[in-house]
Amino acid sequence: MVLFLRPRVDGDLGSLLDDPAWLHRVVDALGSPVNVVLPDQLARNVSRFRDVYRTHHLTGGIYFAHKANRSPALIRALAATDAGIDVASLGELQHALGAGFGPGRIMATGPKSREYLWLAARTGVIVNADSIGELAETAALVTAYGLPKIRVMARLSGFATSGTNVMSRASRFGIPADGTAALWDTLEKHRDQLDFHGVAYHLDTVGLPEKAAALEGCLHAMDEAVQRGLTPRAIDVGGGFGINYLDDEKQWEAWTTEQTAAVLGRRAPLTWNGHGYGLRNEGGTVRGALSVYPAHRPVAGPDYLDRLLATASATHRRPLGTLVLDSLYDLHTEPGRALLDQCGAVLLRVEEVRDDGRGETLVRVAGNGTDLGLEQHGVLMDPLLISRGEPRPDGPAGVYLTGNLCLEADLVTRRKVFLPRLPRAGDLLVFANTAAYLMDFSAGQALMQPTARTIAAYRTGDDWQWCLDERYWPVTGREENNG
Amino acid sequence: MRYDSVTDVIGDTPLVRIDAAVHGLRNIDLYAKMELFNPFGSVKDRAAWNMSRRRLTGAAERGETVVELSSGNTAKALAVIAGMHGLPFRSVTNRMRVPEIKDLLLLLGAQIDELPGRSECLDPDDTDDPLTRMYHAVSADGAGYLHTDQYFNDLNVEAHVRGTGPEIIADLGGRAPDYFIACVGTAGSSSGVARVLRERDPGVTVVGLVAEKSDFIPGIRDIDEVHEVGLFDPGVYDAIEAVSSDEAIDGLLTLVRRCGTLAGPTGGGAYQGAVRYLRGVDAELTERRTAVFIVCDRVESYMSYLRERRPTLFQQPARANSVRHLTGEDLAGARSIGVAEARDWIVTDHPLVVDLRSPFAYRALHIDRSINIVDDRFGEMLHDGLPFSRRQPVLLVCPVGEKSARYAALLTRMGHPDARSLAGGVIAWRDAGAELVRD
Repeated sequence: MVLFLRPRVDGDLGSLLDDPAWLHRVVDALGSPVNVVLPDQLARNVSRFRDVYRTHHLTGGIYFAHKANRSPALIRALAATDAGIDVASLGELQHALGAGFGPGRIMATGPKSREYLWLAARTGVIVNADSIGELAETAALVTAYGLPKIRVMARLSGFATSGTNVMSRASRFGIPADGTAALWDTLEKHRDQLDFHGVAYHLDTVGLPEKAAALEGCLHAMDEAVQRGLTPRAIDVGGGFGINYLDDEKQWEAWTTEQTAAVLGRRAPLTWNGHGYGLRNEGGTVRGALSVYPAHRPVAGPDYLDRLLATASATHRRPLGTLVLDSLYDLHTEPGRALLDQCGAVLLRVEEVRDDGRGETLVRVAGNGTDLGLEQHGVLMDPLLISRGEPRPDGPAGVYLTGNLCLEADLVTRRKVFLPRLPRAGDLLVFANTAAYLMDFSAGQALMQPTARTIAAYRTGDDWQWCLDERYWPVTGREENNG
Repeated sequence: MRYDSVTDVIGDTPLVRIDAAVHGLRNIDLYAKMELFNPFGSVKDRAAWNMSRRRLTGAAERGETVVELSSGNTAKALAVIAGMHGLPFRSVTNRMRVPEIKDLLLLLGAQIDELPGRSECLDPDDTDDPLTRMYHAVSADGAGYLHTDQYFNDLNVEAHVRGTGPEIIADLGGRAPDYFIACVGTAGSSSGVARVLRERDPGVTVVGLVAEKSDFIPGIRDIDEVHEVGLFDPGVYDAIEAVSSDEAIDGLLTLVRRCGTLAGPTGGGAYQGAVRYLRGVDAELTERRTAVFIVCDRVESYMSYLRERRPTLFQQPARANSVRHLTGEDLAGARSIGVAEARDWIVTDHPLVVDLRSPFAYRALHIDRSINIVDDRFGEMLHDGLPFSRRQPVLLVCPVGEKSARYAALLTRMGHPDARSLAGGVIAWRDAGAELVRD
């Protein structure tokens, strides 16, 4: 039984990956692996998010979560749009400033070192604080260095729900939403240093009810702040809008069903060493939960934001987006993954194809599990096979993709991958739609294996051009000058 | 008939023949086991009572809470039983997907805990799901929980081995039916009844119905989820077939409209799945056969479910004076005025300023002396006619001037001579530096 998980590939990425000669030329020139990013696609994704804002008549910032990809080309292309950027480290803040983001478009989040906080305060970006202590520390910096008043947001967590008790995963970050009195005290006390911009949440979940509860909680917190005489302007609903990775829901359903059967021993394993991906067999009953990214998501990205804003508040019986608008608040979002949909691919060359002597076919690629975080992020999807020369005439083959590290555990994915035909050494395997987290999040120099070169691909007319990632700018200096 | 306790009413449900003119099977008598007649409304009353009855004595003194992983009928029955015995009830669920059941559980005093959704940034080392963790917490000895554990508890099956199964045989004059078709939720009723029927006649064909994947029929699991059910044994079923929510609703409509049986979607799915399966064997038959399916519960709790999936079933006549029926001409005829003009007009003509935003937002900041009627409610008022005098000028405001323009157009169409909308709304008002107040 062949179980494909065909990736969803649209638009420009589809047209780029449709050119085998181009792909082979790039890998021949730069070695395997190669990361390709598509800066122009990122700009289109921003405008799709903006469309949702427009539908709901909302204004506010779309802050791209930098941590999802560190490519300079992507960040510089983003700087050319109306989007902002959410940085989570000193390095990311420096990168954003250098890429052309003015401080007004930068939101500093995450755990903050003193140096990070200082640069944030000095440049005047919005500081999105995780704790009351962090706010006090920011105020102290402002005072000590005679800095201008700085815009701050307060991240809240642990929201109460009405009716049912919607449980949320506990978060390491944020100020408990039921203990805001101390927050208002701090903000009042440091009125001269801190300009309170609003409240934020960021929930690590795909669950809409939890996010709706959090947004409603933020509305109530804003109301409290207003009653305390503060003048907040914005609610930041964080990220987690997601990507729909797969083209065909039926394939996802078939694979998950067969994986359940495999865990129960009712069919041959679909994974290396029978790995359960979170499922286990306890006396013939499946226990645990499939611990992978929901690769097929019918509602993802901008559609998910739209759904959230259309969700009715449990207490006010009115859509949350309408309540935000009614209150004249700006809505800030911090999409990471969703903005990188269709923005890149990883190209890997096949080094060897062999039988492991136990009935499995191993396809070794010039790259490894750290070059492509499929396992770390639980994303299950097939690569595209780009043959070199005449493809083999045979039919689909189930193979395991092993990496170039001298480690038993180094697999690109522990899933048995079904390819339309058996590859040959020299063919390429292309993991499409991998710009978000999968491309460079975990790449390392283990065994002194080379890490991927990243290139930015862009169109001129029907042709695809590329340049090294770090050499990309939204202007090339070679444009026709009609003036 | 007199009973000492309502729990004595559980079980002994009727077996009712479905008119052949409705199901169209030539050689098969099809019977519905009417579990919707149980006192709390469903087949789960049997399991809930059987799983809890022996453990209720002294539970209140021990301070125990009844807990079950259920978002449906089991929770409902247990909430009632817990209430009768002075115990709190806690329902743990992935999602309350049927709002009427949720409301009913809250009405019964249940606490509902919804488990968190899947993580967006995955931690692959975290292989224990919240459900498993919850399960360990409530199952521990001395944890203060009376955990009925419907997916693993043999007393769930036993309720049907002692009740449902023998009742069917008795009602068929001591014979087992040739075919038994049931939806698989906890697998309690299907495996319990199957066991009894097979003891009587090993030739019985048992068909289990599951939901199609990524579809949702309340009370039925899909083909993957059944494997998470401890009581589920694939060996019980001669065939396992999938039904879609569409088929379940078709079946429900047949039962409701033609059979005088006010069945919910699970019963509808069982009927539709049964007829679909039996149609295949009916053509080959030369002698008469009998078949039984289970009608699990009643239709009333599923109005939102039906409305969402078949809105056409609830078609309502269009109401008068609705913003939904404005023409382009109506909208073009509405008068919008900018902030500066509005400020002057307020001073000279004292229009009634109606703020259409939510009371919550109005309370925080609004135009001085405005009144607040949230847009939905304002719309409701206009269905019945103009709520103020034609001589009273009106300025409508909303956040951006979009809804207010529509309502100004509607007021104008209804004959109001001077209804205006604030262009750009309260946001433009604020951005122009005009005064907003809190009371």
